[in-house]
Amino acid sequence: ISVQTRGCLLKEVHLNVTDLRLGYQTKEELIFRYCSGPCVEAETNYDKILNNLTHNKKLDRDTPSRTCCRPIAFDDDLSFLDDNNAYHTLKKHSARKCACV
Amino acid sequence: PAVARENNCLNAAKACNLNDTCKKYRSAYISPCTSRVSSAEVCNKRKCHKALRQFFDKVPPKHSYGMLYCSCPVSDQSACSERRRQTIVPVCSYEEKQKPNCLELQASCKTNYICRSRLADFFVNCQPEPRSLSGCLKENYADCLLSYSGIVGTVMTPNYLRSAKISVSPFCDCNNSGNNKDECDKLTEFFTENTCLRNAIQAFGNGTDVGVWQPMSPV
Repeated sequence: ISVQTRGCLLKEVHLNVTDLRLGYQTKEELIFRYCSGPCVEAETNYDKILNNLTHNKKLDRDTPSRTCCRPIAFDDDLSFLDDNNAYHTLKKHSARKCACV
Repeated sequence: PAVARENNCLNAAKACNLNDTCKKYRSAYISPCTSRVSSAEVCNKRKCHKALRQFFDKVPPKHSYGMLYCSCPVSDQSACSERRRQTIVPVCSYEEKQKPNCLELQASCKTNYICRSRLADFFVNCQPEPRSLSGCLKENYADCLLSYSGIVGTVMTPNYLRSAKISVSPFCDCNNSGNNKDECDKLTEFFTENTCLRNAIQAFGNGTDVGVWQPMSPV
């Protein structure tokens, strides 16, 4: 894990809960935070080797994942009341901290 | 007047979830207040009450009062008022299988130091006074609202009743009061028919909280 990468950043967008398309009927809203950006700088020899081996077709049809910009911590839970007056709580739905992993 | 059909209680909930502190403490009470612990109990009421007290202790009034004291049109008996009634998750924090007698409930409140002191504050700060313009003996709506929100999360937790005008009550009644019927009625009326509390809630909802009743200082 390499936290101090420049490219991979925490971004946020203001959404309706219905935009998440998780099946909830409500008029409530949220701030959704996500990780985005390139991770080339953080790549190791392992990633370079994977890149070369996939190009040389040495790994059959396998395409192992290289360094990704992902959440390493999640935001607090989010609760909301739906149109039928039932409460719901979402866990691990939004990022708090990002890194190239 | 052509007032837009805004749902103030929904707007307050939206504002809460866009604020990190309010969002955090809101879900921190909704989780325990909506998690079933066994087939017999809908929730852990003790944990729910504790988290509700934390919510009102930690979240700035702008957000916490915004949800608890949001104003709904008098005609509205659905979306807005029901959302306001649901603020404290009444199925866990409020309702019981049986309604106890209000004096018995008050007696059990007095055995707990948090409940005892907060109930005492509420009686002092929301004391009605018909001769005052504000309707309150202590002409300070903010103190009355603070003491009312302070009893949320105790055994005396009050909630809005389903009635046309603003009326609140703890989950109890005056059946089986015996000789103490008058005393019990006085206790319940302090909640259900309290002009001071009603005016304070309405003033917050209308955004006229400050300066409306205070005597003008001499120029």
